[in-house]
Amino acid sequence: MSYWTAFILTLFSPVIGGFIYGLERIVRARMQGRVGPPLLQPFYDFFKLMDKRSIIIHSFHAFMGIMYLIGTWFALFVLLSGGDLLIAIFFHVLSLAFLVVGGFSVRSPYSVIGAMRELLHMVAYEPLYVLSAAALYLVTGTFQVSGILHSKHVPLIYLPLFFTAVLFSLPAILKKSPFDTAEAHQEIIGGPEIEYSGKFYEAVYTAKWIEYVYAFFFIFLFAGGNHILGALLIIFAFFFFNLLDNVTARVNFRQMVAFHWYILIPLAVINLMLIALWRS
Amino acid sequence: MEKIVYSLFLVPWVLALAVFLLPGARFHRLRQLITFLSLPALSFLTYLIWNGHLPLQIEAPRWLKLAFTVYDYGLLFYFLYQGIKFRDFLVTVLALFQLFLLTWVLLIIPESSVPDFYVDRLSAFMFLIVSTVGTLICIYATKYMEQENLERENRFVAILLWFLGVMNLAVSVNNIEWFFALFETTTLASYILIRFRWDEVSVKNALRALWMNQIGGIAILLGLLFGIKYYGFTHFTQFLSLSGKPTIVMIPLGFLAVSALVKGAQMPFHRWLLGAMVAPTPVSAILHSATMVKIAPYLILRLSPVIKGTLLAKLLIITTGFVFVGAGLLALTQENFKKILAYSTISLLGLMMLTASMGSSMAILASLTLILFHAVVKALLFMEAGVMEKLFKAKYIEDIRRLVERAPITVAFTSIGFMSMTIVPYGIFVSKWMAIEEASNFLSHGAYVGSIIFMATGGVILALLYFKVIGVMTRKRGEFFRFQLEKVPFVYLFSTVPLVLFVIVGSIFIAKLLCLSVNPVVEAVIGTPAPIIAKGLTLITPVSELYGWQIIGAFVLLLIVPILAYFVHFTGTDRVYEYTCGEKLELNIGTYNFFCIQAVEPFVETAAVALFILTLVLGGGLV
Repeated sequence: MSYWTAFILTLFSPVIGGFIYGLERIVRARMQGRVGPPLLQPFYDFFKLMDKRSIIIHSFHAFMGIMYLIGTWFALFVLLSGGDLLIAIFFHVLSLAFLVVGGFSVRSPYSVIGAMRELLHMVAYEPLYVLSAAALYLVTGTFQVSGILHSKHVPLIYLPLFFTAVLFSLPAILKKSPFDTAEAHQEIIGGPEIEYSGKFYEAVYTAKWIEYVYAFFFIFLFAGGNHILGALLIIFAFFFFNLLDNVTARVNFRQMVAFHWYILIPLAVINLMLIALWRS
Repeated sequence: MEKIVYSLFLVPWVLALAVFLLPGARFHRLRQLITFLSLPALSFLTYLIWNGHLPLQIEAPRWLKLAFTVYDYGLLFYFLYQGIKFRDFLVTVLALFQLFLLTWVLLIIPESSVPDFYVDRLSAFMFLIVSTVGTLICIYATKYMEQENLERENRFVAILLWFLGVMNLAVSVNNIEWFFALFETTTLASYILIRFRWDEVSVKNALRALWMNQIGGIAILLGLLFGIKYYGFTHFTQFLSLSGKPTIVMIPLGFLAVSALVKGAQMPFHRWLLGAMVAPTPVSAILHSATMVKIAPYLILRLSPVIKGTLLAKLLIITTGFVFVGAGLLALTQENFKKILAYSTISLLGLMMLTASMGSSMAILASLTLILFHAVVKALLFMEAGVMEKLFKAKYIEDIRRLVERAPITVAFTSIGFMSMTIVPYGIFVSKWMAIEEASNFLSHGAYVGSIIFMATGGVILALLYFKVIGVMTRKRGEFFRFQLEKVPFVYLFSTVPLVLFVIVGSIFIAKLLCLSVNPVVEAVIGTPAPIIAKGLTLITPVSELYGWQIIGAFVLLLIVPILAYFVHFTGTDRVYEYTCGEKLELNIGTYNFFCIQAVEPFVETAAVALFILTLVLGGGLV
């Protein structure tokens, strides 16, 4: 992928993410037997929020919300520009850091608890993504995203358990049930987001749309050079993850970390070892 | 050239003597001046060595051999005396055992004509760290002790300076018997420094440090004994000639590796390093960064061409990788700032030894990068811990709450230190990245899969730890009404600012730094340099690239923008208090110290003991 395509895609990623979010709300509603909001509802929300009076705690906190948006945007560009996959993963950590520091910087119990849980989300899913970068390297022979996208192999065939593991950790990265402890609206009222409002909440909200694109692009990588399969995988992952969101209840953070560390990572490692042994 | 090498040991000792002989409050300025001299003097000498012809083999005069033997006995008798004086069973017994082993070694040691000093790029690399980071800590210590106890300042700074000389000597000897002597001398130095305050806890912790490190000494002596028995080897360079041989007896190497594990405070021997925090903060700074614990990765690096690919190396990878994760986990439960730093040192030492035992050129490169950046960052963080302690009376996480309102500079430096240990463009991240990608090449070996799992989970646990602390520091009640920097004494700034600058500039120009400065060291260690290329700021490794724009982008996000955030004031918005469900309460937000992890602490330690024994027994080929 050339820099220009990546740049344009990154630039429009909030729009793409917004549509995904709108679609998600419809799909989820239909699964529950509701009609759901219109597809453009996230954008209506966007414009309404822009109009709202901004109420902030202090400027540093508000600024960190904006930084979270910029950081996520930059992390997405790093991923799409075709560079090293591991570095793109660690850039995602960097962008989360802003949300976390912002969450910690106010004396709100909900925000502080939420920021801590945000870090625990990272503890849960990050090792899996690092491992999957290594696994993709094993199959395609390169760490470069552009190389993986032009690979002749289809990693999915070699890494079925890996794909399953990443699929199950998708809710953790996007903060959806059952792994939505960081936001947990009924419990800590949105966690680190709670103290943002108006334009500043808008920034955090948009950053979450960008994370959708980030996460689904990761799924796309599992199809390697076969881009049609990649699109199918994304659609499958999308429905699967909405189904999961609908049918499960929230777990606590220990269960989340334990599920990732004791079930998903071992699953991935078995796959990794078998494929490595087969290849050697 | 020989004279330069000798002066690297002698200059710190002469300066130490000068400082020691100028007691009292009157000579404080003079002592500071003398201590300051060590920085330019040692840096210049290191510069000469670095640009000279390396490796350098120096034949020592015969009397030195005798002097070392006498010194060995003197040292061990001193340990024995300390054991008897404080009625410490372990110290006494271990000292006696060492005396016995030493006598045995001296009885059977063969005459050899191998030069006793061997100064290669690896030694020069360690000189570089000692003569910059180490001396900056000594300069810092003059101010620290002025605020603590001016009467004993001369002793304290003199010991620190002497320690630097010992460290320089330890990394340049080739004779393993002498290495033993210097290994135990660093033990002595840490013993004296830890008990410096002479209260009950200090003496107890100092004795613990003493007996634990004596086990390392015993391991070296056993390694030497078996080296003589099987090969007649008494020097490191002789062991290096073994590399590439199909079957070798691993026993001597196993014992030497175990001594490295002990010195590097790997679990289960981690408690001595934690105990060091009772001493004045410069002690922690110097033990954790430039000297003492760095002997551990140094020793593994020395041996890595020989042990590469053996069972010993694989077990070392698993053991140190486990410590990397385990120490990080235990660090989460701590609430004392210095203890958090100590656990993270143990953890990162594990990573250094892990990469060193992988033994390929990229892994060695990663290990050396880690050693360099870790030395700088840990020195910086401990110095900041001292600043917090002295200026803001903050020792615990609870005390540093909302520090940003009072001390923006200290918080900024500490945050840079913490971030540089995990986040994207900094040197330590780059070495971790290289290590993961290197390990991905060998995934059919269980040990390498293990290493990737350990690196991935350990790294993320440390990130959790550091952001927890940063979060507590940066919490604020409201806007800055008037922005004001705190007053930090000049000496503190003088010793910390260069380190911060190095971390930032070194990370921006990481590609050049690795190619020009670190890669020659890799070549010295294993014979071939790592296949990396620097193109502008871009670092090109065999399998991937770290682009210059990524580094710059991350720095803009991480450094410039948060500093800007101090000055940004959003106007036209309303300020409110935090949302508390309408309850009117005085908010007092604590920190979460992961009590749930305390439950697994015994398991972590048991597993560490098991792995340690496995490394020795299976890796060392004792079965």
